[in-house]
Order: sequence, then structure tokens, then C-alpha cells
Amino acid sequence: MKHKSPAVRLLLLVLIGAVLIIGSGYVDQLRSYQGAQAAIFAIAISSIVLLTGYSGQISLGHGALMAVGGYAAVLCQTHLHIPYPFAFLVGTFAGGVAGFLLGIAAARLRGPYLAGTTLALAVGLPSLANQFHILGGEQGLLFDVGNPPASLGSDFTQYRWFFVVAVIAAILVFWLLRNLLSTRYGRRWRALRANPTAAALSGIKVGKAKVLAFTLSSCVAGLAGSLFAMLLGLVAPLAFTLTLSFTLVTGAVLAGVSNLGGSIVGAVVLVAIPELSNTAAAHFGGSDKVTANLPGVITSVLLIATVLFVPNGPKLPRMKFLARTRQ
Amino acid sequence: MFVQRRTKGGIFAAAVVAAAALVASALPAHAETGVTSSTIKLGVTIPLTGAAAPGYNKIPAAMNAYFSYVNANGGVNGRQIKLVVKDDAYSPAQTLSVTNDLILKDKVFALVGTLGTANNEATTRLVNSQGVPRLFVNTGFSGFADMKKYPTTFPLFPSYATEAKVMGKYLADNFAGHKVALIYQDDDFGMDALKGFGTAGTNFVAKIPYAALSQADPSVVGKWITSIVAAGADTVVMFGVTSATGALAGGLYKANLIGKVQLILGSVGSDGTTLKGLLGPLAPALAGSIAASFLPSPADATDEYITQFKAINAQYNAGATFDNNVLVGMNTAMLTVQALRAAGTSPTRASLIKAIETKGSTWASAAFSPILYSPTSHVGYTGYWFGKLGLDGNAVSVDGPGKYTLYTTDSGSAPVVKACNSSSNASEGIA
Repeated sequence: MKHKSPAVRLLLLVLIGAVLIIGSGYVDQLRSYQGAQAAIFAIAISSIVLLTGYSGQISLGHGALMAVGGYAAVLCQTHLHIPYPFAFLVGTFAGGVAGFLLGIAAARLRGPYLAGTTLALAVGLPSLANQFHILGGEQGLLFDVGNPPASLGSDFTQYRWFFVVAVIAAILVFWLLRNLLSTRYGRRWRALRANPTAAALSGIKVGKAKVLAFTLSSCVAGLAGSLFAMLLGLVAPLAFTLTLSFTLVTGAVLAGVSNLGGSIVGAVVLVAIPELSNTAAAHFGGSDKVTANLPGVITSVLLIATVLFVPNGPKLPRMKFLARTRQ
Repeated sequence: MFVQRRTKGGIFAAAVVAAAALVASALPAHAETGVTSSTIKLGVTIPLTGAAAPGYNKIPAAMNAYFSYVNANGGVNGRQIKLVVKDDAYSPAQTLSVTNDLILKDKVFALVGTLGTANNEATTRLVNSQGVPRLFVNTGFSGFADMKKYPTTFPLFPSYATEAKVMGKYLADNFAGHKVALIYQDDDFGMDALKGFGTAGTNFVAKIPYAALSQADPSVVGKWITSIVAAGADTVVMFGVTSATGALAGGLYKANLIGKVQLILGSVGSDGTTLKGLLGPLAPALAGSIAASFLPSPADATDEYITQFKAINAQYNAGATFDNNVLVGMNTAMLTVQALRAAGTSPTRASLIKAIETKGSTWASAAFSPILYSPTSHVGYTGYWFGKLGLDGNAVSVDGPGKYTLYTTDSGSAPVVKACNSSSNASEGIA
């Protein structure tokens, strides 16, 4: 990726996107749904990669930032009746505002203290929905983006449409992030992660750089949250649980936390695990209790194995972008 | 030559058509998704893991036990029922993922007893677009009875508004002149209740809202107690979840008010087994509280449904303790079997829905309340009876064991009807 210009990158990404979108016409609805899910997870994981892999800050609360984005998008669409693509922008912006506020606090904290603060957010924030009527309480708010555009034909399924929207969003995010990370901001963040003291001595404003990273990462999380709301058709506190936050961190670790392209691999693995465990359970039999807990077990084992044996993520072929952006 | 060949071809074509017609008449006209000549596949999503799992995770096994009993006795029109169980950990995102699996991969005929309001909302788009019947959803949210928004969904439990209206009538009949305070969860659940009490014209000396889950905060419970004392209430209606009932009992105990305040509990917050688990040695503090229920008490040995379900539970459910969850699971399964039978010898999704709409109101069910399904209504149960919690946490009817006074009404403005129903809740005997 080192010397590719932004235009070339965009071209490559658009090409990959086109292949995926055309390909989605040849798979069933279930795969379209899983593809959309993977694309949304990839966006969410990339926000963790930006934050942890580049600026060296940790967040266990990105599920809550996704909730902020999701709720903002839904509220705007319901009350202001804006078209849903703009609702995604609102979600992105709202995530960024929340992230900015959190980032100011986060920049003063490190390691376990930062983890604790963001964890508290993940636990506490979604239950705010129960405090205010406008947020719809436990059963949440519905988010209806309507049917796919009629011009695509009547057999263009809703899930395929979600997949297309999610893939386009993912391509934009990856292009923007990749470009951003090869500017001086990216270099500053890497310096910061390697050694904050040395970075400060080199004239980098540590606090400012950290807050910026947190804000941008939260923007991306907010976008992922509003796309997630589109996929679910609703926002509810239970949709943005602690488990979601942990899942995102797991996905980032599985893929090598400082590897942007790896977030796609992480996302695909996360979507594939329940599928694999279902097949395994069907093959070996076993009770509902075993089947229900198997995905959790597989994820945990993979996580432990990754941390033990390949802490920087599995070595991916250095074909860089093409290889890494594959679904 | 040409003519002859064409004639031959014509004869051949006619033969093919005739053969095809024979085959077609021998087979069901259209093989419905999830139905084969020997099986019917159903699906359920429910929390088997996570915080919401305890209690609810017993329901699928209970449903399966009832289906095994039916399968062992010949199944439904010769078909064996197969239930695919998926864990959603009570997260709507997870529910949607596993429901995708159930509908698009496992290709189930119908969903049965899917649990949770937000969880069912999340799958509505998919369920509606595929026309999948969604039977007897496990939630009290009255919105699912809206046939325009949820054309294939059948809620079963009475709505919270119904419950509040019924409770208002009970208060007017039995607690006239008492100073009654109301504690309610400040969301749609509680709003539904306020609406019901409003229709019933109940006067409260204090209305105390609390945010869902805030019952875990001792200062919130402290505020309840101060408000109760300040208003001079001698009766308290609790319209919240079970843990809120538990917190209230603890608060009353600390304030030395046990025995001085009569508690009246909504059906959501009065499951004896769960309360016993929550309160431990404090549980007897709730003895004497009055609780609304729509299913009979699982401890009622005189109830024919309870007796039969217990027998099935012993034979097919590997020694699971018989409680409210097992009862709910078996009752759901029993209604499902009746629905499948009524859907005909070659059931389709459309015939299943039609069967419930046209015949559902006549089916046997463990509840005392009638079921109101009709071509213009998807409202399920509409009634409650009141029981007193004993020291063991089980409710016994206020009219004495085996005697039930049933209060029925709708979610709107219809009056509450009181009926003595001392003998039987059966309409057709056990399916």
C-alpha cells in the first residue's frame, strides 16, 4: 500500500465492491444477510483498529458508541423525517460527538483505567434508553429504511439491498481511513502508540492527538451503529450489549489489532463462527445447552490461541490490499 | 412421416400430462416449506444463555416434552413434530441472526413461542416478508395484536392494559375505602398499566414511577417507602418485574411495614419460584400478598391440565421441576398441536393462520380465560384470577383452592366481566 495514491486505492476498492455487489446476486438471502453483517462488523472493528492499533488507546465501550450512532440515526429519521442515507451521516456525527466528550476524559487515562471507564460506558449507556420516553425503553425504536429502490427490480431482496448499502459504506470508510493513516496524523498516532513520552518530546501534542483518534474512531463506530440499526430494523438497549463491545475487541485481536485490512478477516471470522459451530453441533449431535454455548467457546479458544501464538494477528500474505479486502 | 411423428409426439405428450396429473393428485398440491409427508418442522428463539436465561431456558425442553408425547401417540395427522431451538441470549441482533437461520436455512414451517418484545420486533420484517406464521409469542406487549402490522403473529398473553383494568375492578370490589398506592415501571409497560387503571377509574393516593432496572438502587426503593408512608397507603399495587417486587419486599421489611401494608402484585412480578430465589430467607415476607395470574398455579393438584402436564413432564422431560416456565412451554405446545391439526391434512402456512383465526377460540388451553382469536382479532387471553401467595411462594386462589373467580376484559373500554369458574377450564379436553 505504501506508494499507492488515494485514487488508485479508491479504484481498487470500487472494483472489489463491484465484484461483491454483482456476486451478491448469485447467493441466497441468508448469505446476503451474513455479508451485510460482516461488512458492518468490519466497519466497527476498523474503528477499534484505528483507536487501539494506531493511537494505542483501548476501548471496551465501542458497543455503546454504536448505540449512540444507531439511536441518533433512528431519532432523526423518525422525528425529522430525513432520508435514511442522511440518517447514517447523523449517526456518524453523533458517534463523533460522544467520542469527543469521552476522548477528553480518555486522553487523561491509561491502560486499565481507560478500559474501566469505557467498560462502564458499555454497561451504563444503553440502559439510558429506559430513562427517557423518547428513546423507547426496553423494546426500542423501529427503524424502517423501506424497500430496495424499485429500479433494481422486484426480485432484489431486502437483505441484498442491506448488503449493498453496507459494502458501499465499508468501502468509503476503508478508503478514508487508509488515506488518513498514511498522512501525518497516522504517523503521529503510531509514534504515540510506540512511546507517548518520545512522541511528546518530538513535539506531538499527545492529548490532542489522542482526542482526535478517539473522536474519529467514534464516528466510524457511530456509522456502524446506524447501519446495524438498519439491518435489525430497530434500536434497543439489548441490541448494544456488553457482549457486542467485547465481540468487536475480539474481532480486532483476531485480525491483528494494527492491521486495517485485517478487520475484514476479523469480521468474516465472527460471522462464520456461529455457522461453523452449528454445522459442528449438527454433525456431532449434543444437547441445546451445548449448541447454545459452542460459539462462545470457539470464540474464546480462538482469542486465547491468537494472543498466545500470534499476538500481532495471523500473518496475512503481503499482497496487501487486494488479499486483505476479500470477503 | 412428419404428420405421423407429430401424432406420436402428441400421444407421448398426452401420456406425460396424464402421468403428471396422476402424480399430482396423489401428492399434496403444493409441498409447503417445513412440511414433509412424515414431519412438520417448527422453530423457537429463546434465551438459553446470558442474564435472561434462568427460568426461560426451561421452556423449549417443556415444549419438546409435549411434542414427544404427541409424536409417541401418532403425531399430527401422521406427521412427527420437530422443534428447532435457537439461543438468542435475549439480544435482538442475535434473534434476527438465528431467525434467519430458522427461516432461510432450516426452513421451518412456523415459529412458535418466540420470546421477548424487542426480539420479536427485530424479526418482524423477515417474518412478514416470508409470510411465516408466528404463533403464541412469549410477551405481554399488546402491540403484537395489531393485525395490519403483524398479519401472521398471534400473541397469547393478556395485555398489561387488560391486567390493570382487571386489577382496578378487583380493587373496587375488595378494597373500597382503602388508601392504595401504585408503583409502576416508567416505560410502555407502565404506561399501558396507567391507561388500564385510568379506564377502570381507580384512585391512587400515590403514583410512584421508577425507571426500569433502577430497583437495584437502594435509594430508589427508599423513595418508594417514603412515598408510601407519606401518602398513608395501606395497600400497594406493584406493576413491575419480579426483581422490583423483591426489592419492594426488602424495603418494606427494613421499614418494619410487613403485615401493615397489603401488597397486590401484577402477573409479571409475581412468579413464586423466582421470588423465592431472589429473596431467600426473606421470601415468607411476601406471604399473603395478592397476585394476578392467567394460568393456573403450577402447584394446583386439582387442575386437570396441571395433572396431565405433570405426568408428561415426568415421562418426557427428564425430571425437570414443574414450575410456571414448564407450564407455559407445555401450554404453548398444546395450542400449537391443536393449530396444526386444524390446519388440515396438507397444512400450509395460510391454512394454519386461517385455522387459528377461525377455530382458535374453541381450543383447549390451561388458562381460565377464553382466547379471543377470530378473523378480525389476534388478541389471545383476556382474563386473570387473583391468588394469595402462600409461605411456599405458590399462589392459591383467594376463593379457596380449586375455586377461581375470573375477571375478563379487553385492552380498550369494554367493561370488566366477573365470572365464577369453580370447576373446569377445559373446553374440549386435552389435545
